[in-house]
Amino acid sequence: MFKKVLTAFLILMLIVMLGAATTAQDDMETYVLGVALPFSGNLGTFGQDFARGVELAVSQVNAELDAARSSIRFEIASADTENTPEGASRAVSTVVQTTGAQVFVGPLTTSEVLGAKQFADENGVVIVAPASSGAAGAIPGDNIYRVIYPPDVFASKAYANIALERGHENMVVLHLDDPFGNGMNEGFTANFQAGGGGEVASFAYTPGSTELSSEAAAVSAALAGFGDNAGFFCVCFLSGAQAFLQVAQIDPVLTSVQWMGNEAMTAEEILADQGHAQTLANADFITVSFSSESTPLTQIFIDDFNAMFDKDPGIFTNYAFDAANIAMLTMLAAGNDGAAVKSMLPFIANHYIGTAVQAYLDDNGDQAIASYGLYQVSEDLSAFDEVGAYNGNTDTITYN
Amino acid sequence: MPPALLTTSLVNTIQIGSLYALMALGITLTFSVMKLPNFAHAEYVTVGAFAALIVSLSGNVNPLVIMLAAFIVGALVALVSHIAVFKPLEGREVSFYTLILSSFAVGLILRYILFMVADYFNLFDTRIRISLQILLREGYLILTNIFFWVVPSSILLVIALTLLLNRTPLGREMRALANNPGLARVIGIPVERVKNYSWLLVGGLAGVAGALWGLQTAVSPLMGWVAIISVFAAAILGGLSSFAGTILGAYVVAFSENTVMLFLNFNFGLDLAYKPAIPFIIIIAVLLIRPQGFTELIKRAGDLKR
Repeated sequence: MFKKVLTAFLILMLIVMLGAATTAQDDMETYVLGVALPFSGNLGTFGQDFARGVELAVSQVNAELDAARSSIRFEIASADTENTPEGASRAVSTVVQTTGAQVFVGPLTTSEVLGAKQFADENGVVIVAPASSGAAGAIPGDNIYRVIYPPDVFASKAYANIALERGHENMVVLHLDDPFGNGMNEGFTANFQAGGGGEVASFAYTPGSTELSSEAAAVSAALAGFGDNAGFFCVCFLSGAQAFLQVAQIDPVLTSVQWMGNEAMTAEEILADQGHAQTLANADFITVSFSSESTPLTQIFIDDFNAMFDKDPGIFTNYAFDAANIAMLTMLAAGNDGAAVKSMLPFIANHYIGTAVQAYLDDNGDQAIASYGLYQVSEDLSAFDEVGAYNGNTDTITYN
Repeated sequence: MPPALLTTSLVNTIQIGSLYALMALGITLTFSVMKLPNFAHAEYVTVGAFAALIVSLSGNVNPLVIMLAAFIVGALVALVSHIAVFKPLEGREVSFYTLILSSFAVGLILRYILFMVADYFNLFDTRIRISLQILLREGYLILTNIFFWVVPSSILLVIALTLLLNRTPLGREMRALANNPGLARVIGIPVERVKNYSWLLVGGLAGVAGALWGLQTAVSPLMGWVAIISVFAAAILGGLSSFAGTILGAYVVAFSENTVMLFLNFNFGLDLAYKPAIPFIIIIAVLLIRPQGFTELIKRAGDLKR
């Protein structure tokens, strides 16, 4: 009899405990934060590092929510964009269909962002892109928010101003044949010619090309055709820049004109080749790069990243960290609902100060604060030194 | 077309054509002897480039040492892929299409291993540490040390391969295997050994091509894959069976991508971004108009010589 009573009591206790656990679990709400980044392909290193930045942000927010006894927790659902527009669309749709995620951090490049745009707009999914800057992505009313890096309308104006300041009458542009490269080329050409510049000869190359000798020959011939006072502007990713430099460094025309180039050309891999570094130095190469000014949170982010992953964060990884924070803060305020997040995000972003600059969004949902640094190769060819600044909001260049 | 542009484009044609030839010969050899259009060949090229890069980063910038390392590593990887994948599949007598798919799979596995290696050792977009020097400047003609490494090395390796195939017992065995594998086995040719040597040769040549291609560009896990369509176009132009045809095909592809493309750009404004379409156009044109490629042409030229 005693055994029966004991068994009944234990069963009862078990039911009560299971019930309590279920009730506790029911009270907890999980918000899925989608992450769509290139984990493979040439930008795979960036994508993996950006994902670590998001992971750090999520772990910190979850710790704070835990301490505050909040019932909300964030969970990451990631997919590889494969560094292609189709891959980005596939990544976002897969995560949405399998987890119901309403908000994403990523994708990385403008072509990837535009690849995912249609699905995001049609399904009310919000995309918070940490590093996309192509002018083609500046669209009012869509579901894309580019919260950290300002759009290239500012940078293209800065390059046009520099070209005009340098006295270039005509320009030759080599650019990536993608939304970023095409947008930069079009913006530069429009601004250069509006400022009194002459002809601009443009040559596009396919992203991913590793051999650009034909392109270098074509650029050289165009520069020779323009005669004196022509300049060269390279809008390339790192591998393209290296391939171009490899052939350009022996070209008598290309080594006799002044160069400008986008910030991918300021990577340390470029300076690792003495010939490439010397070519850029001789060409008076200048680049315009978004200057992420340090805030008190910058060093804390670096220390936390090191503590969590036992390595330094990569370049721009803090943008992903900040984008994830803006996304999560908005979800906490608006709930796990794409439409509500879309409505609330500009307010949250405009009141957010993270590890880079303060975010402030324009009508397109893009970063409106446009502070750039101007960089040139140092005398000893070991680094890119900041030689000036460009304020995109006032359209003024100042040199140190 | 200005003379400077024409000269530069022709130099590029010779330099890039030589590299395509070196890469395409391996594909032709694999197809002839093993009856496999091997898409993993792209990764043997990349593996060779990474071997060259690592040797150069370790401080050794002697191109001969770099090429030797690339040959050895490329050869070993090709042999391992044969032993681990292609040989067991052949034993199961799978279809031709299964073999092609398996070659894609081997390529993908190798590519992503290279991605992991590059990520771990921070080798993305790193260059082989051999600096470029101008060795000859005559009017518009500019030739660099890279040109003098790439072109003679490619030509010498092509000649060495031709001699090996035509003048050595191993070459005769390879040709016998290519002509009739059943008969080759019956007459006592050690088929497996010959295949192993063939894979070593194919991988080694691809490895050297990768090292030389790496001198021209930056080393990345995708570099072989990016080049492979042009290389396949060259091999298809050669009918996938003729070595002379393959070499000719390589220079035709390089000429089309450089001189013809620049001519069209300069005279008709055709965007250079269409350059990657050229090998596809060549492949489709050959398959539609002359599936045997240059094979018949080369054969007829040989007959005339006799």
